[in-house]
Amino acid sequence: MVRILLRFPEKIVNQPIISQVVLQNTIHLNILAAHVNSHGGEVLVEIPSKEDARRAVKAFKERGVIVAFPKLVGVDEEKCLHCGACYSLCPVGAITIKDDFSISFDREKCIGSSCGQCVDACPTRAIILTREIDIMELENENRSSH
Amino acid sequence: MTQTSQHVKKTRTVEEINEKIRKGDVQVITAEEMKKLVESSSAEVAFKEVDVVTTGTFGAMCSSGAVINIGHSEPPIKIQNAWINDVPVCHPGAAVDLYIGATMMSETRPFEYGGGHVIEDLISGKEVELRATAYGTDCYPRTRLRTMITKDDLNQFYLVNFRNCYQRYVCAVNSRDETLYTYMGKLLPKFGNATFSGSGELNPLMNDPDYETIGIGTRIFIGGAQGYVIGEGTQHDPKNMQGTLMVRGDCKKMNSRFIRGACFTKYGTTLYVGIGIPIPILNVELAKKTAIKDEDIKVPILDYGIPSRNRPQLGVTSYRDLKSGSIYVNDKKVRVSPLSSLKTAKEIAEILKRWIQEGLFYLTTPVERLPKDTVYRNLRYSEETILVRSVVHPAITCLEDEDVKEVAKRMINHSVNHVVVVDQQCKLRGIVTSWDVTKAVAEGKTELTEIITRKVITTRIDEPIEAASRKMSQYQISALPVIDDEYRVLGIVTSEDIAKLLGRKQNG
Repeated sequence: MVRILLRFPEKIVNQPIISQVVLQNTIHLNILAAHVNSHGGEVLVEIPSKEDARRAVKAFKERGVIVAFPKLVGVDEEKCLHCGACYSLCPVGAITIKDDFSISFDREKCIGSSCGQCVDACPTRAIILTREIDIMELENENRSSH
Repeated sequence: MTQTSQHVKKTRTVEEINEKIRKGDVQVITAEEMKKLVESSSAEVAFKEVDVVTTGTFGAMCSSGAVINIGHSEPPIKIQNAWINDVPVCHPGAAVDLYIGATMMSETRPFEYGGGHVIEDLISGKEVELRATAYGTDCYPRTRLRTMITKDDLNQFYLVNFRNCYQRYVCAVNSRDETLYTYMGKLLPKFGNATFSGSGELNPLMNDPDYETIGIGTRIFIGGAQGYVIGEGTQHDPKNMQGTLMVRGDCKKMNSRFIRGACFTKYGTTLYVGIGIPIPILNVELAKKTAIKDEDIKVPILDYGIPSRNRPQLGVTSYRDLKSGSIYVNDKKVRVSPLSSLKTAKEIAEILKRWIQEGLFYLTTPVERLPKDTVYRNLRYSEETILVRSVVHPAITCLEDEDVKEVAKRMINHSVNHVVVVDQQCKLRGIVTSWDVTKAVAEGKTELTEIITRKVITTRIDEPIEAASRKMSQYQISALPVIDDEYRVLGIVTSEDIAKLLGRKQNG
């Protein structure tokens, strides 16, 4: 599972780029978050296969899309007090409070640095944004395919 | 006829309970277990079966700190100013006594590291850097000092917290259009979330609301060690069920799992303090009181979007709803964050229960009870608070469909830098500044709609000047439209108006 952040500059925002990439390369992707207006846009997509992700990065870049990799939220269990200050800030329900009032993070649901609302709300700074995927690996392999 | 054989004991004493602890047959349950027991049987049965109920709370308690005595250096120093890990520590007494206040912030890492963290670091055994300066006297000639110390180097290291354990607290929400960072945590705009503090039915004072058993000298769990209640806390407000405690504990015996430094973004640093108090079930009434449930503890929902000590109350909720994860605010369901760790509060009640069962902790009878009739008062302020009302003046306005040139002319005619954009009903639609107009000219834009700022920071007629001027400096703007509840524009306040007013005051 690879998450990719696509940034669409103003001059290409009116083109149906995602559809083109999906149809021409038969890539399966899931849109997790999208902020688009006439000045540009930012779309967070999730691609189940690493091979698809590699092809998608190439295809998006060729069409002028800026490709970035969102950082994901990580929790330092030593520091976490299980206070729950983060809970109400999560827009995708990735943080839940269990019956024993411990706090749990669902990394599958978390949209990482395209949100990051919980990070500065943590009183012990136990929430950190980390890079989960090896971008260099993805980009290098991408480059070598040229 | 004799009934003595039928006599049922109606009370028990702390001495009797301690005797049972000694023998190892004391009956202890947590406050949570007590609710279930009373519900499934009765207060009478619970009184018969239970000797002690344990409580717990683990929340951010800003009015906390530690007294330390560092011993004399050679040559000795009478400290004037001191810092530990760059956090200024207070020097309230004789030569080498210091108080580490939880909210004092590091001069090199403000808002991230503070007195609370220093206390946690010392308790966990870390070495810290102590620096001090002094003016030097005949008896204390030294003027500078710098050394690394641990808790073992300290003569005394006591937590002395002047307000802990709030019986109940409020629920915070934010009506404003921007995110707020408060001591009640991060509050999303337009009632996007809510926060609350306190452990509800597990809170010590909530289980002894008439302060029958908790008073001066009550032995307690504090930070993983045994400590004492030394009196009522500051702002103790029993009539509003907002009692507080002043407590003391020996930091050298504490566990940093239950004393944690913390920071609230853009607010400052604080200390999470774990406290557990045993309630001896001396009579049936106490059995009933310790059965109090979260749904019976009401909590006001306050709008922290209004920066006033009289925050508007938007409703009432209960700890049951708060602990469920969501509440209703203005008929909208919002998620609510606890700020206290309820998980750790439960754990503290369990640990205290075990200590008593294992004979490691004996109960005390308070030497004096906490006051039940004191009231909390706000500050008497000898100077009048100046409100936006006294500086507001009529705003120069325009409609959205006007063009840039007309607006520019109006600015010049009225010598203003801000024109407020309104609709036909005089409701706020945006704002245009002279800078926006200059930019429009440079970029060849003629339509007003292209340059209007839509997200306008506003104020109200009854907002104190301090609050309005903080908004201007925070957002680096120089004027605020004044609006009413319906978003109608009543006028405008500029930074110039405020500067003039303050100038007048200082000269007068």
